[in-house]
Amino acid sequence: GLRRCLVSMDMRHVVESFQEIKKAIQAKDTFQNVTILSTSETLHRIKPLDVCCVTKNLLAFYVDKVFKDHQELNPQILRKLSSIANFFLYMQKALQPCQKQRQCHCREEATNATRIIHDNYDQLEVRSAAIKSLGELDVFLAWLDKNHRENSA
Amino acid sequence: DGVAILPAPQNLSVQSTNMKHLLTWSPVMVPGEIIYYFVEYQGEYESLYMSHVWIPSSWCSPTKGPECDITDDITATVPYNLRVRATQGSETSAWSTLKPPFNRNSTILTPPGMDVTKDGFHLVIKLEDLGSQFEFLVAYWRREPGAKEHVKVVRSRGIPVHLETMEPGAAYCVKVQTFVKAIGRHSPFSQAECVKVQGETLPL
Repeated sequence: GLRRCLVSMDMRHVVESFQEIKKAIQAKDTFQNVTILSTSETLHRIKPLDVCCVTKNLLAFYVDKVFKDHQELNPQILRKLSSIANFFLYMQKALQPCQKQRQCHCREEATNATRIIHDNYDQLEVRSAAIKSLGELDVFLAWLDKNHRENSA
Repeated sequence: DGVAILPAPQNLSVQSTNMKHLLTWSPVMVPGEIIYYFVEYQGEYESLYMSHVWIPSSWCSPTKGPECDITDDITATVPYNLRVRATQGSETSAWSTLKPPFNRNSTILTPPGMDVTKDGFHLVIKLEDLGSQFEFLVAYWRREPGAKEHVKVVRSRGIPVHLETMEPGAAYCVKVQTFVKAIGRHSPFSQAECVKVQGETLPL
């Protein structure tokens, strides 16, 4: 189909991991009326052709930026964040063959969507931005699950 | 930190079968003293981006025995660093780190247990419950020359599954293998088990 580079994966555990820490993470978010991922339904307007590029860009957003900018002291939360971070690292590696075969091309729309997210992030103080992005992981995980499922349209 | 007089645990290794991972090491022996062990891990993410971050194991920080079930800690298909140290009172040993790192894609997958039965003319199978990460690929066929092999993917666990409505007097055989999507691997097939509508389970 139009969507190339599907990553076959079992997302149940990573979704469960986030659900277990979601309340605690979102409670630390002091800017409730601001959003990073969900502005103007950014992700929901991504077209099938752009799924690979946006997946790659947002995995990098979390792996290279968000998880690094957050320091967690609670071992229970740290374990769950580690589960998610390492799952994203695994997904990045699973996407690499596709990128080598130039099947993960970034069109302007996808690049703009990613830039909006980075701009939103950069407008907040880094710790606040990181905790907010972690609190919105369910938005990204739901989008991943929907767009990397073999039989979804 | 106590001075590291206490010897560090040696011979760390991981035994992993069907996605259950057990870290073991040689016990540190101090006559008349109780030794506790602390296990910590870091996934590839931590080792690449936050190498100072080590995470206490879910079940073994501390533990008394020279082993630790790390299944709940190894949650992604990436290499994990694991380390153990011993403590006795205020004394603490140096850390021993597992070499090489452990990746769950090396787990040994065994053919699953299965129970093939007849319920009247219905061929029914009940599969071993190996946990939520396992799917089962069930192959079954009528035992006669040129018979077609049917395949059914089963995701339910530990409950009977109807495979086929059998014809009187015919024998049917079944074999099963597991599939773990998280690591993209299958187990070998089990031995085939055959039943005949009126007879008992027949060995091959």
